[in-house]
Amino acid sequence: MIQFDNLSKRYPGGFEVLRNISFKMDAGEMAFLTGHSGAGKSTLLKLLMLMERPTSGNLLINGKNLNRLSNSQIPMYRRQVGVVFQNHQLLLDRSVFDNVALPLQVTGYPASEVGRRVRAALDGVGLLDKEQQKPMALSGGEQQRVGIARAVVHKPRILLADEPTGNLDPELSTEIMALFRRFQSVGVTVLIATHDISLINRMQLRIMRLEDGELTDDGGGYGGY
Amino acid sequence: MAATDNNRDANQRGASGQKLSFSNRWRAYKSHHRITLRTSFNKMLHEPLQTILTVMVIAIALTLPAALYLTVDNVQQLGSNFESSAQITVFVQKGAKTKAIQDLESQLTTMPAVASVDYISAKQALLEFKALSGFGSALRYLEDNPLPAIFLVQPRVEGEIDLAETKKFVEAIGALPVVDDVQVDMVWLQRLHSLIEMGHKLVLALGITLGIGVLLVIGNTIRLAIESRRDEIIVVKLVGGTNAYVRRPFLYTGLLLGLLGALIASIMLFSGLLWMSSSIENLASLYQSQYRIEGLGVAGFFTLMLLGAVFGLGGAWIAVGKHLRDIEPR
Repeated sequence: MIQFDNLSKRYPGGFEVLRNISFKMDAGEMAFLTGHSGAGKSTLLKLLMLMERPTSGNLLINGKNLNRLSNSQIPMYRRQVGVVFQNHQLLLDRSVFDNVALPLQVTGYPASEVGRRVRAALDGVGLLDKEQQKPMALSGGEQQRVGIARAVVHKPRILLADEPTGNLDPELSTEIMALFRRFQSVGVTVLIATHDISLINRMQLRIMRLEDGELTDDGGGYGGY
Repeated sequence: MAATDNNRDANQRGASGQKLSFSNRWRAYKSHHRITLRTSFNKMLHEPLQTILTVMVIAIALTLPAALYLTVDNVQQLGSNFESSAQITVFVQKGAKTKAIQDLESQLTTMPAVASVDYISAKQALLEFKALSGFGSALRYLEDNPLPAIFLVQPRVEGEIDLAETKKFVEAIGALPVVDDVQVDMVWLQRLHSLIEMGHKLVLALGITLGIGVLLVIGNTIRLAIESRRDEIIVVKLVGGTNAYVRRPFLYTGLLLGLLGALIASIMLFSGLLWMSSSIENLASLYQSQYRIEGLGVAGFFTLMLLGAVFGLGGAWIAVGKHLRDIEPR
């Protein structure tokens, strides 16, 4: 599903954030991406979101080379991807419902279908009763779950999460990871960038470690550190 | 297991995301337009001061060239009134035979550029002169009639007078037999024409300058609107919104601003003309003229609205386009 092929990313200043990255993820696979802050985790996710383009090398999604996508084709690509942001990126002037509905609205779903899917997604994260509230009225964990509902409401093939448990207590983190597991179980490829060691240690998942822009470790097991 | 398979199946369907029928998409597209128009309008109402300022600047920038255009247009109308009364006086050689004069008359009448021909014989001319000039008694001392016979030729005028054509026409008449001289006062016509031409150029220059001004004003207003919705744009783009989707609300805002500006410009022009019309009619009556001032008219109104719409959309397009380019991946 996801294939990095000797990919490098250099910023205009000459700083190389990612160097010769190669790895593959199968459809329905779930993995952690870890490393110190500044190691390149966010950049790697941005490349997957096509918020950045690689300086060299290829990134293939489902066999398709993202380098060949023109800027006007990016929206179509992004509709297959769901993203959970570290700072959740909710629109504060809109209700929870409207926030979650956004990916469907931009795709052009009819209102009835939007309502059905948004409620299903909110139900999935246990926030069905909060749909009319504004994000500011919710707790941190709830906001994060709204972000997750928005990331999965359009049933993406790939789910990316950037520090999804960033400032949550362990209990909430576990809940959110369980949610991700559920999406994985229906065939979604899930990639989670985190440096939450305890979280990684609790789950038996593939761990990819970035160090100074290089992939130094790629494998299963406990205690990436 | 079956449930999982179903889920997987549903997921794959959803993931491809293209199961929406065209009619569904079209309906959603239309409803998004409707909603966007409404929200754009509401957003403008929520910032009344900003909206009024922008609209007024647009209105003034549209009013100035439009007013100048109307002025030039009216002067041109006035000019063409005179032009249509422009006569060509053809002086017949003294002592020309009656037969030659009759030949000349038929030659003049058959010329395609001639509308009508009036013959004033030397005798008639003298009588008129006596009656009008007040030199009647003095003329009695003259041995013979010093005045020549003349033809008053009314040229056929369709639309604007082509000065080069008129000149050729006058020369053609001058070349006819027994014609002594041809007089037409072309100099002031030429002056009027070049004045009008200058006026048109001024309208164009002013229009372009202020048009750019309108673009910038709308662009700036939209830029501020973009600033306040920066997060929204980023999120919309990240969840797969197209540039058109992002652009839409801003284009509607620009369109509404432009149309409102044009509407107010039309009202200002209309009330300005109303205010001036009585004094213009006074002036016209002093010149014994039936001249009536030409307003914007229906066509002018729609042209102005169209210009407002184009400038509004253009300014918004430029502002959003710049912002969208800034967030394209590199």
